[in-house]
Amino acid sequence: MILFPQGRPTHRETFGEYCAAGGYQAVTKNILDEIIASGLTGRGGAGFPVGRKWSVAAETDADARYIICNAGEDEPGSFKDRVLLEYRPHLVLEGIILAARAIAAERAYVYLNETYDECFSRMTTAIDDAKAAGYLRGITVTVHPAPTVYVAGEDSAAIEVLEGKPPKPRQKPPYPAAAGLFGKPTVVNNVETLANVPPIVRNGATWFRRFGTPEYPGTMIFCLGEEMRDPGAYELPFGTTLRQLYENVGGGLKDHQQLKAILPGGPSCAFLTADQLDISLDPESLNQAGSSLGCGVMRFYPEGTCMVDETLRIAQFFARESCGQCPACRMETEMLSTILERIRQGKGDAALFNQFQKIIDFNRGKGYCALINMPGPPIMSALRLFGEEFEFHLQHGGHGSCE
Amino acid sequence: MACTYVLVCQNEDCKQRGSGELLDKLTDKLKSSADVEVKPYMCFGGCQAGPNIVLYPQRVWYAGVKREDVEDIAAHAEGGAPVERLTHGIEDSLKDLIYQLLDAGLF
Repeated sequence: MILFPQGRPTHRETFGEYCAAGGYQAVTKNILDEIIASGLTGRGGAGFPVGRKWSVAAETDADARYIICNAGEDEPGSFKDRVLLEYRPHLVLEGIILAARAIAAERAYVYLNETYDECFSRMTTAIDDAKAAGYLRGITVTVHPAPTVYVAGEDSAAIEVLEGKPPKPRQKPPYPAAAGLFGKPTVVNNVETLANVPPIVRNGATWFRRFGTPEYPGTMIFCLGEEMRDPGAYELPFGTTLRQLYENVGGGLKDHQQLKAILPGGPSCAFLTADQLDISLDPESLNQAGSSLGCGVMRFYPEGTCMVDETLRIAQFFARESCGQCPACRMETEMLSTILERIRQGKGDAALFNQFQKIIDFNRGKGYCALINMPGPPIMSALRLFGEEFEFHLQHGGHGSCE
Repeated sequence: MACTYVLVCQNEDCKQRGSGELLDKLTDKLKSSADVEVKPYMCFGGCQAGPNIVLYPQRVWYAGVKREDVEDIAAHAEGGAPVERLTHGIEDSLKDLIYQLLDAGLF
């Protein structure tokens, strides 16, 4: 595969090994052209074309430009950035260096989840080794702690933190690629995105496009949780079926439990059901199914899971993680979780069911960042797919049909 | 059984502008009124115009409430006249949404 030779993290690569395998070789190609031709998209969740983002930063007139490698990873269940930094720090670092050269940046930051101690030591060692060998030439790369709150991973919130401020998203536009850190053009790319850059530059865009689908070239790292027989991080080409990931790679649910529901892209996506396993793992197919691929965190729920509890947990997560600066977001996330709590406890009348969509519609797009739009898909899909469980809870104030 | 609810927003912005004190004062002022219940509310979404207080089921929204307004709001809750000077600054669509939520029992 592109990121892990065996499709999953198996060996903590050293500087010597990385160089021996072709790392840090002199580049004669135009890096930006190669990335544009590759069709690489961001792997942090939004899926924005990388070449377009870099082009904006490169073409914006400025006396300084910055690269931020976003390893603020705080999405529940996601650990792909952590394993990439632990197992292949030089792949990520070379990606940072190539990105910096592509947009003529002299300063790069690794914005790293503050609890990732091993990543910190692996990355600082990698920077020291590459610097001593002369591979950084003119580029300064440093590691900065990212607060472990969900919005701190949002690109403009990361910029705020690097400027010494609290992790709160900025109003956009301007987008960071045009005016980011200290007002200068700034490319914020996820760890996995940057890790794809050296193989593309080394082997060419045509080689990269051999993986995945024509619309979505390349691979993605999927994180499987402890509910699976074989949890872990797995790199698979876009276009692999969800069934392949669930059955062959993950080994199905533990103890041969029957599958009830799937959350295919983290807490902000819509639930799928067990009869949708033949869907192709690519952003377009997931969107058509009413969900999204997000950053590749897969959760599989066994029969017997109370979907009211699970949905409430997600709503409470967003209420807790809303940074509070946008009134609409604060109101929406609080209201949604309160209504769900009422339903779970059986305190309220059926009119509550009609309020979710009204609240979501009223607040859509009224926040600085995307968080305000995040609770909608899981809640509305849960109501649609598992409505009888919610009705039972409201009528009886407890579990029943969901047990 | 209370007939009138005085709902006092207790979210961040309103609280910073003194809604905690408003809640205490109104609770104290109206404690002997059997037909009135003063309750904290999670958020009405009108944060820029807070502190916000909604009288329900009268559907009267008071924005930018100060401690000197407590007397008048309490009087309204006990059957007096609405406090016209405090009823501005909130868009109708937000009011509609909140009143629908209150109608659905969300308080």
